[in-house]
Amino acid sequence: MQIKERIVPQGIILDVVGDLTYAHRAVFKAAVEKAKQAGCRHLIVNLEQVRFVDSAGLGLLVLVSQNFKLQQAQISMLKPQSYVREIMSLANIPKMIPIYEREEDALMARAA
Amino acid sequence: MPHIGQVPDPSPGIETPAATILLIEDEPVTRTSMAARLTRLGYRVLEAENGRVGLEVARRERPDLLIVDWMMPEMDGLTFCDAIRRDPQLKSSQILLMTAHDAPAQIAEGLVRGADDFLSKSSSKQEIIARVLAGLRTSRLVRKLETTGEELKSSMLLLEKKQAETEADLQTAAAFVQSLLPSPGSPVRGITLAWEYQPSLTLGGDLFDVMTIDADHLGLYILDASGHGVAAALRSASLMTFLRAENMVQLLGSYNPERVLFEANRRFPLSADGDYFTLWVGQLHLPTGSLSFASAGHPGALLSSATHPSRWLTTASFPLGFDPSARFTSDRVLLKPADRLFLLSDGIYEVPSPSGELWGRERFQEAIDAGKQTSLSATIASCFAAARGWQQAQHFPDDAAVVGIELSDCREGTSHG
Repeated sequence: MQIKERIVPQGIILDVVGDLTYAHRAVFKAAVEKAKQAGCRHLIVNLEQVRFVDSAGLGLLVLVSQNFKLQQAQISMLKPQSYVREIMSLANIPKMIPIYEREEDALMARAA
Repeated sequence: MPHIGQVPDPSPGIETPAATILLIEDEPVTRTSMAARLTRLGYRVLEAENGRVGLEVARRERPDLLIVDWMMPEMDGLTFCDAIRRDPQLKSSQILLMTAHDAPAQIAEGLVRGADDFLSKSSSKQEIIARVLAGLRTSRLVRKLETTGEELKSSMLLLEKKQAETEADLQTAAAFVQSLLPSPGSPVRGITLAWEYQPSLTLGGDLFDVMTIDADHLGLYILDASGHGVAAALRSASLMTFLRAENMVQLLGSYNPERVLFEANRRFPLSADGDYFTLWVGQLHLPTGSLSFASAGHPGALLSSATHPSRWLTTASFPLGFDPSARFTSDRVLLKPADRLFLLSDGIYEVPSPSGELWGRERFQEAIDAGKQTSLSATIASCFAAARGWQQAQHFPDDAAVVGIELSDCREGTSHG
């Protein structure tokens, strides 16, 4: 898994490529921690290039979401592929972490 | 940088014993003269008058450097070199061959037979010292390498021993966890139970049970711990203990699925590392075949009916611990004779083909449907075979479990332990 960070005026976008799984949790944790240290108020996880998220990956997303909420910050997800969306729906993740299809919408969400 | 004629201290500040040099030379005057010179330089010098005696001394003393004359009676320098290189204890010794020969062919022969360097008998004092120093330097490096190799070997042996102990512990723990799982067969009259479970590691984090609650009810669940390995297995065993029938009945008065999930959700929060469980719980009323079930983020169970299309029994819901105030709602379905209910972990269908495509729930369902005419255990086995065939590998990347129960016609509500 590879993660590229993009800093935008409204927050930080993590472009994730590969599978978000147990094996790659350290890479994801490190990217999130870096964003937190940079004072990020809105973290957008771009899942367009993620084919699979396992239970450990889901747990990480929820943990990050809870940690961000404690700091009055927010996490959003962008463009999950259909199978990833199905996995997330089964675990009710969209009720906890908003999902957007367009980057502009995700960015606007925080601004609103 | 030492000057020629000056012996450098190999490790400044550290007391080291003087290097030992074995000098093998049949000509007494030459031997005595060179021995005196080396002794003056601070070395411990051993002497031998031919190769045979030299070999005995070398075996006994393990000198740091061997200076050997080429031409000698009984055993000459080349034969001595041969003997040293064949000896397992001495084969890495540094040999300086003294010779009056300096023809390339002879030098080559000396190298082939095992000499490391050459010293002309007409060499200057400076050259002798330089070559002795070079030989001793190489000798120190070779010995250090040998010591490091031996230490590495003993560390490897220790590591292998520890690994074997850890593996044995894991096997014991895995056997214990397996003993917690229900016995295949007939947990109550009119119900057949079969299952197959392959943890991705020695210890798995997916666990399940099918148990008698009271004379009329059968409780069943499957749980999936996020992550893998020992930590996930321990957390699962802890939740499994909580989910025991007697514990739930004492705590809740029944095995009501939504109440079981509510309590489990309160007691098993998301860990600081993001670890959690998904859980599917069902309660079957044996006299009527009425199954109530609820799910906490679990992919669910598959109802394979003899007369109707298969259907998934699940609802979108948070896994355990995601939301401490979460409520879970039960659903209900009526099972008929010959119906089969399969509880499964996602590890059975989230298996990638070599090109990365997942096998998926639909293909799993097709495999279940294709096995309607075979026995319950054969159907489960064929699912595993199909999943393995899809990924073209025997071992699954995640814990894979499929638990099946089948209802027969002879259910009268009488339970067996």
